[in-house]
Amino acid sequence: MQRKVVVPGELVAKGKYRLGEGVYRVGDEIYASVLGLLDIKGSYVKVIPLAGRYIPKAGDYVIGIVKDIQPAFWILDINSPYDGILNVNEFIREVDPSTEDLYKLLPVGSVVHALVKEVNRAKKVLLTLKDKKARILRKGRLIEIEPTRVPRVIGRRSSMISMIKKETKSSIIVAQNGRIWIKTDVDMTKFIEKIIRIIEKEAHTSGLTDRIKGIITSKLKSAEKGEGNEGGEA
Amino acid sequence: MKVGKPEKLIVNGKRLDGRAFDELRPIKIKAGVLKRADGSCYLEWGKNKIIAACYGPREVHPRHLARPDRAILRCVYKMAPFSVKERKKPGPDRRSVELSKVITEALENVVFLNLFPRSAIDVYIEVLQAEGGTRCASLTAASVALADAGVPMKDLVAACAAGKVDGEIVLDLFELEDNYGEADLPVGIVPRTGEITLLQMDGNLTREEFEKALDLAIKGALQVYELQKAALKEKYGGENGGEQ
Repeated sequence: MQRKVVVPGELVAKGKYRLGEGVYRVGDEIYASVLGLLDIKGSYVKVIPLAGRYIPKAGDYVIGIVKDIQPAFWILDINSPYDGILNVNEFIREVDPSTEDLYKLLPVGSVVHALVKEVNRAKKVLLTLKDKKARILRKGRLIEIEPTRVPRVIGRRSSMISMIKKETKSSIIVAQNGRIWIKTDVDMTKFIEKIIRIIEKEAHTSGLTDRIKGIITSKLKSAEKGEGNEGGEA
Repeated sequence: MKVGKPEKLIVNGKRLDGRAFDELRPIKIKAGVLKRADGSCYLEWGKNKIIAACYGPREVHPRHLARPDRAILRCVYKMAPFSVKERKKPGPDRRSVELSKVITEALENVVFLNLFPRSAIDVYIEVLQAEGGTRCASLTAASVALADAGVPMKDLVAACAAGKVDGEIVLDLFELEDNYGEADLPVGIVPRTGEITLLQMDGNLTREEFEKALDLAIKGALQVYELQKAALKEKYGGENGGEQ
């Protein structure tokens, strides 16, 4: 589907609409507030941003890196203007901070996949690990992409990411804050990173999922052949 | 060393660089030229060459400048030592502090700062080559860099100057006209509403001349606005971006 690129201040609609992100209303007229793709569905209008930092909101999953430890909580870098706070009582299990050492549970530099539990008006971001999908990420590779490209890497009803996971037989976590965690063997990790960079660069083009699938299939085929050749030479 | 004063700034109804009274210098704008900044813009306006980079919203340093209810916007205007005829001593001076301030204030009212409490949005403007009118050119570049960084704004800010040279009201003064002309009137506008966010005057104009110059500058700024929009859309393959 072709979508129009709009710039801040551009008139996008007139009349009764419900407003999503990236738009604002003056009287009867609705204007874009960010550079992005115009999306009108029925009476709902929004602009899908093409650039910008990650701004946390409740219900998002993020990948955070521990950057500081306080007596009763961890401070995590979540690739955003605001730090994430992980309180001890939001840790995977019950922890008594008076007897247990927070440094041992999650030292500085640890990587976690956490749920944003709450963001208050002062933009204090409370994270939790008490969630089915939340976990500590111990091995694997962490890469960062533009947060605005995340929906494209996931794809419609996660078509893109589940295809990549299935074809490459790897475990991948894509978090809303633009961090992606990949766990598989070294060569495949490099290859997946390459694919994700392609998606990031060509996010606004159409037919991307099929093209990516083509790249993966041809790579897997040549890898099989390559292994065969090596075997022959040895 | 300044170029000596020419005898006349207007010869046979044309200006010294061959332009008509209401003609802009050629302008080229490119968005997203820097990889490491969140948003950027390279702008050529006649012989002016300016690069603007936007970072943020991000954490505020020093901490005490942070506002609990909104973001702060900081623009820094800087001239490269090699941007002018006589080497400019590097470092902040009276002029660049002034320009940083007026550019910041011109942009403050279009950015939705209330969306990002406790954070800062920084814009760094580097003048690589100057030929008069860098104030307006910098403001134009800064607003494209902000939009390119995905910062929510009410509108872009477009700017253009007008002035009085040899008794005539002309658009977009270049270096000689700026130095030896009678008046210079830089204007920054919010094109959607017609609000004025930057207005300064160097020299003297009568009330009628002022009104004529202001109208002319606004007309010039509207042309600049179209170029700004085109530059931002160009980055994503023109009018129709594609699917997502």
